[in-house]
Amino acid sequence: MDPATLETSVAANGDLILIPAVPLNQQMVQHLWQEIRQILAQSNPPQLVLDFRNIQTIDSAGLALLQALNEYCRTNGIDVRYQDIAPKVERFLTFLNSAKGVAAGGEHLVRENWVSRLGIAVSAGLKDAREQISFSGSVAVAMVRVFTHAKPFRWRETWYYIQLCGADAMPIVSLISFLMGLIMAFQAAVQLRQFGGNIFVADLLALAFTRELGPFLTAVILAGRSGSAFAAEIGTMKVNEEVDALTVMGFDITEFLVMPKIYAMALAGPLLTCLSNWMGLMGGLVVGVIGLDLTASSFLQEAYEILDLSDVLTGLLKSFGFSIVVGAIGCLRGLQTEQGADSVGRQTTSAVVSGIFLIIFVDAIFTVIFHVFDW
Amino acid sequence: MGSSMMSAATESATDRPAETAPEIIRVEGLDLGYGGHALLRNMDFSVYAGEIVTVLGGSGCGKSTLLKALVGLLPPIKGRVIVGGEDITDQDPETLMRARRKMGVLFQSGALLGSLTLAENVALPLKEFTGLSREFIDAIVQLKLHLVHLEDYGHYMPAELSGGMRKRAGLARAMALDPEILFFDEPTAGLDPITAAEMDQLILQLNATLGTTMVVVTHELTSIFTISHRSIMLDRERQGIVAIGDPRALRLESSDTLVQAFFKRQAFPLDPSRRSDAR
Repeated sequence: MDPATLETSVAANGDLILIPAVPLNQQMVQHLWQEIRQILAQSNPPQLVLDFRNIQTIDSAGLALLQALNEYCRTNGIDVRYQDIAPKVERFLTFLNSAKGVAAGGEHLVRENWVSRLGIAVSAGLKDAREQISFSGSVAVAMVRVFTHAKPFRWRETWYYIQLCGADAMPIVSLISFLMGLIMAFQAAVQLRQFGGNIFVADLLALAFTRELGPFLTAVILAGRSGSAFAAEIGTMKVNEEVDALTVMGFDITEFLVMPKIYAMALAGPLLTCLSNWMGLMGGLVVGVIGLDLTASSFLQEAYEILDLSDVLTGLLKSFGFSIVVGAIGCLRGLQTEQGADSVGRQTTSAVVSGIFLIIFVDAIFTVIFHVFDW
Repeated sequence: MGSSMMSAATESATDRPAETAPEIIRVEGLDLGYGGHALLRNMDFSVYAGEIVTVLGGSGCGKSTLLKALVGLLPPIKGRVIVGGEDITDQDPETLMRARRKMGVLFQSGALLGSLTLAENVALPLKEFTGLSREFIDAIVQLKLHLVHLEDYGHYMPAELSGGMRKRAGLARAMALDPEILFFDEPTAGLDPITAAEMDQLILQLNATLGTTMVVVTHELTSIFTISHRSIMLDRERQGIVAIGDPRALRLESSDTLVQAFFKRQAFPLDPSRRSDAR
């Protein structure tokens, strides 16, 4: 026991008197409580008297100490009495003790078991699938309305998003595609050189980029760059009730907010894919010229000869599909945002993750279709 | 809220703390603004321990700007701000930290962290700045939530609550560390009349019982007359303080037409020649 913190004495009738020598505040209560518990554990008196003669200041932590003390004594069958309370302290205790029956412990959430959590997750997944199907339907209807001239095509908004998703993405798409072409050419050259097949690096890159890598890389970049931006933009609008305001004014949210973004992605995606294909070849060309003793013209000639129109068109068709999917899922996640800043963050992340998953899913579908039709 | 509070429905600010009460906040020659452009100029005033001071004025006059300066979120263009004995003008991190330990702020929308429950929001400063055990922190959290009558809502997320409840939760968090000074940014904005009256009564009770100094930014006339010991009125056009004093006295005695128009809720004359504040 630290006499600087707490003095004790025993009355003639056996009551234990505790006299704290420090304020009952945030800084002191923890240490004081440890002292008191030690003393009570050793002595177990019939009644405890807490003498406030030295207490001039008390705060919420001090009240928490008193509550903990009351609870401990109640559990151990010890009566508690206070004495010599200063008027200021008494007013504080009276005011805060209007919080009667406050438990010394927060509410504890009931944790579901794994079966419940699995059920909740499956239910949420099914709900999301339903929303995606419903959203796809509303997008399709909005497209039909434009083509039948029932609704105007929003050129200004679409051009704005083409600039944002397309033109502004050119540097990053170029850089990543160039570097990917460089890397692939290096990796391929190591093997092909052994068989004297240096020139086939051009074939590899041309086919890989036009049929698969170009569309895929471009789509992933768009998902991270534009899909997340759409989700954040629409999500913030939802949090600020701007979407509700548009709805109440009579705007069709899909037609007004979503379609310009999807049209922009559908136009910008294939164009960026063409850029990606070209830059990937350029990356390979650098390796071919510097490391494989090829000439630029022989490299490009080889790439030109191996490519079919179907290779280019299938790649562009994939890119078209990927871009629409990325734009749509970004907008959907934005519309699914609930109240609060953390929901905007979650949906933005989900837009990217879902976008990448859907890119691969759609890619698998296209691969099967092209195989069936031998494209 | 509880019957003890409803029975004090007509309670209003008690006598102003004695003139000898120590200065808690002092502002000297203060210019405030954004991007180097001053909104408010040459402000001088003090707030004394135990006072409730309301900061009022028309929309855009700089009330929230002044509040930001007092809590150290906005460095002044010129002048000094001393809060709780700490000169926070230079925004020195350690000085700001010491000053902020003495203050609590209720922001206009509550500013609760959306990813935490109400109880976790209130516990946050206690966990961060005290060495108290989980048991004590939980008890204090429950106490604070009970003070604002949200004791059954500790496990709720902020998004699940109404605006008024979020404000009350924000107040519970602002009080978590038992600060010497509480700042309020439009505490009754957006509240229904009953909840607004209950908020006013809570402010008065906290002041009367805990002696907490309070600075309340508001333009709600009912609140101003209910809670204020003194008021500081700002004006955008005059770029500074146009009146300081007991709002009841200002309403009756001020010859300034702007002050009169504000307190009597009248349209302010647009013709400068009809205004006593004409330069």
